[in-house]
Amino acid sequence: MAKRSLALQLDEVVQAMLVSLQPRSEKEPNRELASLQRVAQELRDLPREQFRAALKSDLQRRASMSESTAAAKTGMGEAQARAIHYLRPGLTSITPYIIVRGAAQFIEFLKSSFEATERMRVPTPDGKIMHAEVAIGNGAIEVSDGSEAYPAAPQAIHLYVDDPDAAYARTLQGGATSFYAPTDDHPSGDRWGAVKDPFGNHWYIAKPRGWTPGPEGLRSVQPYLHLREADKMIPFLEAAFGAEAMGVHKSPEGIVHHATIRIGNATLEIDEAHGEFQPMPCHLHIYVPDTDAVYAQALRAGASSIDAPRNAPYSDRAAGVKDAWGNSWFMATYLGQ
Amino acid sequence: MPLGTGQIAEPRLVQAAQSDPAKFDALYELHFERVYAFAASRVRDRATAEDVTSEVFHKALANLPTYEWRGVPFLAWLLRIAANAIVDHAKRAARELPAPDDPPEQANDPNVQASEMRAIEHRALLFRLVGQLPAIQKQVVLERFVEQRSIKEIAQRLGKTEGAVKQLQLRAVQNLRAQMEGSHG
Repeated sequence: MAKRSLALQLDEVVQAMLVSLQPRSEKEPNRELASLQRVAQELRDLPREQFRAALKSDLQRRASMSESTAAAKTGMGEAQARAIHYLRPGLTSITPYIIVRGAAQFIEFLKSSFEATERMRVPTPDGKIMHAEVAIGNGAIEVSDGSEAYPAAPQAIHLYVDDPDAAYARTLQGGATSFYAPTDDHPSGDRWGAVKDPFGNHWYIAKPRGWTPGPEGLRSVQPYLHLREADKMIPFLEAAFGAEAMGVHKSPEGIVHHATIRIGNATLEIDEAHGEFQPMPCHLHIYVPDTDAVYAQALRAGASSIDAPRNAPYSDRAAGVKDAWGNSWFMATYLGQ
Repeated sequence: MPLGTGQIAEPRLVQAAQSDPAKFDALYELHFERVYAFAASRVRDRATAEDVTSEVFHKALANLPTYEWRGVPFLAWLLRIAANAIVDHAKRAARELPAPDDPPEQANDPNVQASEMRAIEHRALLFRLVGQLPAIQKQVVLERFVEQRSIKEIAQRLGKTEGAVKQLQLRAVQNLRAQMEGSHG
C-alpha cells in the first residue's frame, strides 16, 4: 500500500479528534505526526474571533457607560456586576414558552412522559395556570394556559433523553400519537422517534449518538422551528439576537435541511417545513445581557414590537418582539441577585 | 516570553484604566487569550469557556477600582476571578443535572499551579500566532478547528480541492509548530 501523505495522515488525526474518536493507530509511530497532533489538539480550544470582538465591544460600551456616570460612582459597580448575571437561575438562554389549553394536564403529561419536575406554578384567580416552570433533564419549559391575548400555541421540541424508547412508549400511554417509533435510521445518526402530544406539541425524542452538530454539553430541551424560507431565519437571528449558526446543512438549491443556532449558552434548531412538519408559530423566552439593546437590534433586523422594554415585577427587564414568521421572542435580562 | 513585556507595562496599563475605563481595552488585548485558554482548559465546552471569559472581564472592569497593585500580577487576579466563576458554573450545573462523572478536581481548584500557568502561556501564544498565519491558512484553521467544518465543506467555500485544503491545514500546523518551537528556543 502506498504510504499516505503527511497531509492526509494529519487530517485523519484531526478528523478523529474533532469527532472525539480514537485516531487510527499507526503501525510505525511517527514522531513528525505526533508533534503536529499536539499542536492540532491545542487548536481545538481556539477561541472564536467573533466572540473576542463582541466581548471587546461590549466591554467598551460598558466602559463608556461607567464613564458617563462617573459622578454617580456609588452603585455603578454593583449594577455592572449584576448585569453579567443576566440569566434567571434555572433557565438557559433559550426556553420554549408553551401556551396550551389545559396547562395543568399538560404538566402532568410532561411529568409522566419525561420525568419532568414542576419548579413553579402561579395560578390565576379562576384556577388556571398563569405561569409555570417545569424542568426536564438539564433544560426547562415554561407553560401557561391560553387566553384571549395569548391563545394556545403548541410547538416542536427536540428532547434529548437517556432512553428514547421508554420515553416514547410513555408518551403514547399519555395519549400522544406517533409520527414514527424510535429508529437508528434517522439522518441525524441519533436514535430518534417522534410523537404529537394531546395538546398539539411535537416531541422529537432522541438520544445523541456519535457526533451531533452543536455545542458540547447538549441541552435536553431544544426548540425546533419548521419554517418556510428557513434560510432567511439564520441572518435574522444573527442580526436580532447575535445568534451563531453552528451547523447548517443545505441542499444544493439552498433549502435548509437542518441548522443548529446558538444564542448565549443554548441552542435551537430549524429546518424548512416539510410534510407533516409544518410551521407552528410559537413563543420563545430568551435571556440576553441587555434587553434594551437586543430589543432595538431585533427591530432593526425586521421584527415588530409586542412589548417595549420595561421592568417586570419578577425582577426581569423584559420586552417582546414578533418575527416575520409569526414567532414571538420574549427577551429578558434578570435583575435579581 | 510575552508575559515579561506584560509585567513591565501592566501596572501602568492598570493605572490608566482605573482613571479612564475606556483604557481597559489594552488590558483586554493583553490578557484575552490567557483567560480564555485557562477557562477552556478547565471546562468541558466552548459555550461555558465563553461565559466564563465574559464574566471575568466584565467583573474585572466593574471592580477595577478595588484592584491594588501589590506585586500580585493583574493576570493572577483575572485567573482567580475565572477560577471562582468556574466553580459557580459547576455548582449551578450540578444543581440542574448531577454530572454522570465528577469533573476533574483541578476544575475546582482556586489556585493556579506553575505547570498550569506554563500551559496557559503556551496555549495563549499559540492562539495569538494563528492570527499571524497567512490569511488562507488562518481561514482553514478557523473553519476546521473553530467552526468544525469538514474538509469537503471548506474546499467548497474556498473554491479549492480537498487535497489543497489538507495541504493548507498541514502547512498551517507546521508553521505554528515551528513558531512555537522558535519561541521556546
